[in-house]
Order: sequence, then structure tokens, then C-alpha cells
Amino acid sequence: MVDLVWFQLLSAALFVIGLYGVLARRSAVLILMSIELMLNAVNINLIAAAAHMEGFGSFSRFDGQLIAIFIITVAAAEVGLALAIVLRMYRNRSTVNVDEIDLMKW
Amino acid sequence: MPLTANLDLLTPEFALAGLAFLVFAADLVLPEGRKHWLGWLSVAGLLALIAVSVIMLWGVEETLYNGLLAVDDFSLWFKVLFMVIGVFIILSSMDFVSERLEHQGEFYGIVLFSVLGMNVMAQSRELLTAYIALELLSFSLYVLAAYARDNAKSNESGLKYIIIGAFSSAILLYGVSMVYGVLGVTKFEAIAAGLAAIPDTGAVSPSLWVGVALILVGLGFKVAAVPFHMWAPDVYEGAPYPITAYLSIGSKAAAFALVLRLAAEGFVPVGDRWEQWQLILAVLAAVTMLVGNLVALAQRNLKRLMAYSSIGHSGFILAGVAALSLDSNLPSNGVMLYLVGYSATNFVVFGGLISFFNMTGKEMMSDLAGLGGTQPFLAASIAIGMFSLAGLPIFAGFAIKFYLFTAVADEGFLWLAGLAVFASLVSLYYYLQVVRQMYIEPAEGEPAYGHGYGYEHVDAEHGEQGAGHNESGEGDEPAPARRYGAAQFETHPALGRRPSVTVIAVLGAGLLAVFWIGVYPSPLLDTIEAASKAILS
Repeated sequence: MVDLVWFQLLSAALFVIGLYGVLARRSAVLILMSIELMLNAVNINLIAAAAHMEGFGSFSRFDGQLIAIFIITVAAAEVGLALAIVLRMYRNRSTVNVDEIDLMKW
Repeated sequence: MPLTANLDLLTPEFALAGLAFLVFAADLVLPEGRKHWLGWLSVAGLLALIAVSVIMLWGVEETLYNGLLAVDDFSLWFKVLFMVIGVFIILSSMDFVSERLEHQGEFYGIVLFSVLGMNVMAQSRELLTAYIALELLSFSLYVLAAYARDNAKSNESGLKYIIIGAFSSAILLYGVSMVYGVLGVTKFEAIAAGLAAIPDTGAVSPSLWVGVALILVGLGFKVAAVPFHMWAPDVYEGAPYPITAYLSIGSKAAAFALVLRLAAEGFVPVGDRWEQWQLILAVLAAVTMLVGNLVALAQRNLKRLMAYSSIGHSGFILAGVAALSLDSNLPSNGVMLYLVGYSATNFVVFGGLISFFNMTGKEMMSDLAGLGGTQPFLAASIAIGMFSLAGLPIFAGFAIKFYLFTAVADEGFLWLAGLAVFASLVSLYYYLQVVRQMYIEPAEGEPAYGHGYGYEHVDAEHGEQGAGHNESGEGDEPAPARRYGAAQFETHPALGRRPSVTVIAVLGAGLLAVFWIGVYPSPLLDTIEAASKAILS
């Protein structure tokens, strides 16, 4: 079996790419996609950890996979909600560029 | 024992979900003019559920679903607090919703779902359960913040909130995944046991500390602790007014309920290592209270002012969390007492401000000028709320701050308590600014020297107008005053109307609670003590 640390590195890389995307992207939709990347990094971490967890009690092996399923579900709902709000934003302001969404500042 | 053996302990939660669906369903049938019934239905349902919870769960101490949820005094205490908050939020939003928002029924239904999320948050003893409850609350709040669909500011508030909220959830979950990867558990107690099992001299896996730190950051976003606070002012300003109140009262109390249980069950029993974390939390608290209160000095928009004020109060509450220890219940008592007192006070302030907004549609601090004369009851309530937030005696603000800061100092954080007193002193300035606006500044369009003086001065200022009037009015002395009074009445057509029943109910109950907590908090403290014992044992 592939060593756990490689999965953790992959997950960390994915998380950091997502983090960079959230901070650097201008479009609200792309920011949401970057957040999805971060959540998928979490899923990789959880599932890999669960798969490598032999020594622990029988139930804790499934916890990680269970949490991953919940995260996928919640993330889908979150994106649905966020896109609805982005859509309203576009109707009212004709832009989804977060640099221009600045009615309120400081 | 089968997993469903004591499922009946969750009756209040099931009933609350049922009530929310009932409101959604009734919304489909009710004609447009009677939608406000749904608000009353929600209030009645919540009041009934408070009674049911207290009768059913008083003194019960059990866990459900193999230890995922705890039904104990702590859960019950917060459950009642959240449902009372729900009742008052619905009462104070009824006028606003029926006058300024579409889709009224769904508004109340979503508020009920958020109360459900808060209830489960206070009971959860496991990271995933806590996360799901947190998301139920957060999703409801995202929708509510963006509820005014055609208002660009509300859209912007909702968008900023959901992006920052999803972002912080991702950070929180990454922390959870790392803690799970190292310890293999997600229950709070098991985390404490796993952390305590690591020998003092042994090497600690760095991913464990990174995991705990990321969980802290994720929760820091939720309670708006500096440096994770930048979303709060924008979201508070753009959200519909009652939702601003809800964010600063309900969402804050729920986040701290979760933080309290997580810290008390997961981290405090660890011993020496908790002391290192205490210092980090204390620094976070210090920065939060200073930045929140200092930046509030520069604010001119009332909602933004209240946002920074709530960040400052987060700092005070975090100081209590940092002081948690196994030896003493005082810090956790202090945090809970603070949450009640802060909620009651904020209801008084927001009750007044929402009513003022309903009448005028204005939200700047300068718009409050002269409110002491036009709406004495609202002005007095807001003033009392401001005094209480600043921590002046007789009011709740003094009692809760005194109790919390004493507890913090007792636990060896004298410097933090001193800093908190200093920050409260700073906060007095901007709270009193609001009071000054209402009672000392003349109302908009009124002569600068008040009625009866300085007609010449004003007439000179408004040259033509004044002269023309004098010609037609043949030097009738009080006429200019009436004219300016009338002009003011035109800009605030509704300022003459009396506050509605719901506003008076919210303000009355809030004021009563503010004085009661300020003068005689000991019955409340008895219940808080029982709740503290449930998590710190």
C-alpha cells in the first residue's frame, strides 16, 4: 500500500492550491471552485487516513469515510446556495467580479 | 443498548423541525394579507417548545447515538437561551418583514431552522455532528443575510458571508481531518484522552498541532475573532436589520456554546498542554477586544458600529474561554452569564434601532439626532442598551463584565482582565456618542438653537426661503418653528407613529432582563452553575 504521507502531501498541495485560488481569483464562481478544491483536499486526507487505520477500534476506520460522505453532501448544498446568491448578484449588478463588489468598505 | 433507546430525548428538536416545515406549508395556503400569522405561529411554537424542553429535560444527563449528542444541563440551558433568542428575533422582525421583505413565511421558517441548528450545536460532542449543526445554522444565516433579493447591499452581504463561511468551514474541516488522521477519533472526550496519552517528553506529531490550530482558526472565523473578523462589518451592514441583530446575538451565542463544550471536554482535561493553548487564546482575545473597540470609534453607520462592538464583545468572551480550567467553574459561568446579558442588552438596542429604521429607513448615527424628543421610549431604550453595553452599573453590562473579568483575573490572567477594563473604557466613547446624538444634537432641519431662539440666524442661513416666509407670515413669531417642524415631519413621515406591540414587547422584556441581570443575577447563576458542572467534571 502507498505510504500515508504521500496522500497527505497530495492533500496539502490541493488545499494550498485552493487557498491560493480563493485569495487570488477575481470571479466569485472561480472562488467557489477553489473552495471545492479545499474541501476535496479534506476528503482525500480523511479517506487515506481511514484506509491506513488498522490498529484502532473497528468503528474508527469508517469514521473518516463517513465524514467524507457528509462533506460531499454539505459542499454540494453550499455551492447550490452560493451560486443562487451569485446569480442574484449578477441580476442586480451585472458583475460577479469580487473587486467590483464593494458597496460596503471599511 | 440499541441506538434508538432514548430517542425521545430529542423530542424538542424533532418538534422544532416539524414546526419549521409547518410554517413552510402554511405559507403556501395563507393569503398574502395574513402572512404575519406565521410569525405568531412560530413564536407560539417556540414558547411551547421551551416549556416542553424544561419539563422534559430538567436534570436529565444522558448521551445519544453512542455519545454523539449529550442531553445534559448545559444543552438544556443553551437550548432555552437559543429558543428565547428565536422568539425575540421573530418578534422584532415582524414589522420589518411585513413592510420591507417579500416571501414572509419562508423567513420565519428559515429562522426556525437556524434555531434548530443552534440547539444541536450546543448538544454535539463530536466534531462531525458539530460541523453539520454549524452548517445548518450557517446556511440559514446565508439565506437570511441575502434575503432582500433586489437590494444590492443585501446580495453583497450574503455573497461575502457565504464565501467567507465556506472558506472557514474548509479550514475547520482540514483541521478535523488532521486530528482524525493522528488520533483516529472525533469525539471531544476521545480527543482529550488521545492528547493526554501523549507523554510529555515524547515527540508530538506536528500534524496534530496544525490540526488543532486549524480548528481554532475555523472557529475564530465563526465567532469573528481578530484577525478573522473582516467579514463581519460588511455582512452586518448589508444584511436586513433584524438579521444583523440575529448575527450579533444568536450566531455568536451558538458559536460560543460549541467553543465552550469543545474546550471544556476536549482540551481543558489535557493538563499542561492546555496551558500553552490558554496563552494563545488569551492573546487572540486581547487583540480582538482592542481592535474591535478601537475601530468602532471611527464608525458612523449604526450597523457597522454594532458589528465592531460585537467583535469587541467576542474578545471579552474569548478571554473567559481562555481562562477555562478544571479547578474552577467561574470562567465558564462568566462566559454563559455574559452571553445572556449581552443578548438581552443587544435586543434592547436592536429593538429600538429596528423600529427606528422601520419608521425612517435610515441607519446612520447622525440620523438619530433628536430622537430623544420625537420618540422618547425608543431613545430611552437605546440609551439604556448603550449604557449596558458600555458596562455601567445597575445595568446587565456591569454585572456580566464584573463577573467575567473577575473570573479571568482569578485564573491568573490579570493582564488580560486589565486590558478588558481598558477596552470597555474605550467602548464608552462610541456608545455615548449614540446617546449624545439622540439627546443633545438637534433634529435634522430644526433650528440649531432649538425652538424659540435664533430665528434670525436660521432665516439668514436659508436666505430666500426665510425671507419669503416672513413676508407672507407677517412676522408671526412661532411660524418658522412650525415650518421647520413640518419640514422635518416630511422627511420622517412615520416618526410620529407609536412603536408597535411587538416592539414594545421586545423592548419591555429586554429592559426587564437588563435590569434583573444587573441587580439580582443569582437565580440565573444557579442554573448556569448546573450547566457548567455538566461540561466541566
